[in-house]
Amino acid sequence: MENDGKRRAFLKYIGLGSVTLGTAGYSVALETEKKEKKPHYGMIFDQNKCVGCTDCEVACRKVNAVPEGQVRLYVENKTDPATPMGKRYVRVSCQQCEDAPCVAVCPSKACHRDSKTGIVTMNPDDCIACKYCIVACPYDVRFINEKTKAAENCNFCLNTNLDKGQAPGCVEACKYKALVFGDLNDENSYINQILHVKDSVRMKPTYGTKPSLRYIPVVKVGV
Amino acid sequence: MNGAINFTHGFSHGVEWGWPIAVYLLLAGISGGALIVALLVRFYKKQQVDTPLLKAASLVSFVTIAFGMVFLVGDLEKPLYFWKILIHYNFTSVMSIGVMAISIYIPLTLIMCLYMFEKEISMVLAKKSQLVSYFAMIMAILTKIRPFIEVLSVIFAVVICAYTGFLISVLVRFPILNTAILPALFVVSGLSAGTASAGMVASYLFKEDTHSSDLKTLHTIEWPIMAVEIMLIAMLFVSLLVGNEFQQTTTVAFKSGIYATLFWVGVMGVGFGLPLVLNFALGKKMASTHMAFYLSGMASVLGVLCLRMFIIYAGQTFGV
Repeated sequence: MENDGKRRAFLKYIGLGSVTLGTAGYSVALETEKKEKKPHYGMIFDQNKCVGCTDCEVACRKVNAVPEGQVRLYVENKTDPATPMGKRYVRVSCQQCEDAPCVAVCPSKACHRDSKTGIVTMNPDDCIACKYCIVACPYDVRFINEKTKAAENCNFCLNTNLDKGQAPGCVEACKYKALVFGDLNDENSYINQILHVKDSVRMKPTYGTKPSLRYIPVVKVGV
Repeated sequence: MNGAINFTHGFSHGVEWGWPIAVYLLLAGISGGALIVALLVRFYKKQQVDTPLLKAASLVSFVTIAFGMVFLVGDLEKPLYFWKILIHYNFTSVMSIGVMAISIYIPLTLIMCLYMFEKEISMVLAKKSQLVSYFAMIMAILTKIRPFIEVLSVIFAVVICAYTGFLISVLVRFPILNTAILPALFVVSGLSAGTASAGMVASYLFKEDTHSSDLKTLHTIEWPIMAVEIMLIAMLFVSLLVGNEFQQTTTVAFKSGIYATLFWVGVMGVGFGLPLVLNFALGKKMASTHMAFYLSGMASVLGVLCLRMFIIYAGQTFGV
């Protein structure tokens, strides 16, 4: 009988223990699921649709008050001189790397990843303008803003349009829908639907910086 | 499909880190190099007295690193925001790690100077008797930990020299900079410039005979250091030559243009050629003159400055 009591107690503790552990485990799982729900903003530039009108550049400067003569976003004409009718343009801007060298090298944490959106952005007040981020960027898409004297990059209009719930200025301004902006972590987002059906590339992928910008290049058809 | 699209336009203006950075890197190299050499000579020869060489090296290391720091901060576009580095510390940043190392290293060089010039400082302070007693109290404590401070100084001097290399070798966009050899090259060239500077200051300010035992030792180790320096530069060049497409295009920097001139005239001619000619080619009589001693020392320092300039400018000019 004495043994029976012990067994009962043992079973009781086992039961209680598994319930508590189970609940704890479940809540931890829930939390990690919540963490995964954090957005990962990305952008597609479709070279097939871009006509090089530079409306995006104009909108970017206006929305983000970029000083005259400076740009966060530039449309480079990469048309092959041998085939002048086959126009090709490329968007030059911050690639929003997942492993961003600028964030890694900034000595004052001015260049940082926004905690809510995960977007690589700048706190101009903390920037000492040492230019370390500018030389560390494999894409050479950072610059010192002449007015704020702080380094700057395309941050998907984080403090301007995105703050108001709008798409980035360049995306809004593009008449040809060459730019698509969205959350890569959201399976149902339009950007993911496009990435599912179209081939896209990242710039200089060998640097291992995992850029969030995707490019859909013009390719020869019927090879 | 990765070759299908790319852009070549950049937002920076070519060389973003210009000559002040090269000077700053040189000053840090001289500082570290001088202290390493003088302290190693002291350890090796088991010296108990403060030799003119150690006095010179301590003074040189403190003055150069202090000036280097001023250069670095002054080179910023917002120099008055410098303190932000110290409160927003970023452990993944080589610059932050370097700032921490420097903020330990500068006090170390200062303490080394205090050891060297304890008498002189006491004499200056003698007018204010209270200050003298405070100073004597501090020195009593410092003297007890002197062996520890000396070893720590050597370690941090090496760290500072290496830091100047790591600072720019993490810049992946530039093949000449993004090499494993760069920090080693900066340590060795720092030793070269530091040896020359410490020797010259020991002779000029502290009246050390240019043929004294210590300066003879410096004169002997000067050549192996130079040989290693040349070897490392050659290795850097070969690694670029046999590297990928981008690395290969940077070898032009050694072959033609203004940077090739800087390299062959400045680094090779002045830095290595002139000291060799002065000390070996013109006979023993010429080699033992004071003029040859100072000229060859200055040529060594100038050569290392040219090397830093070449690395900084050619490095940032030939990007991927």
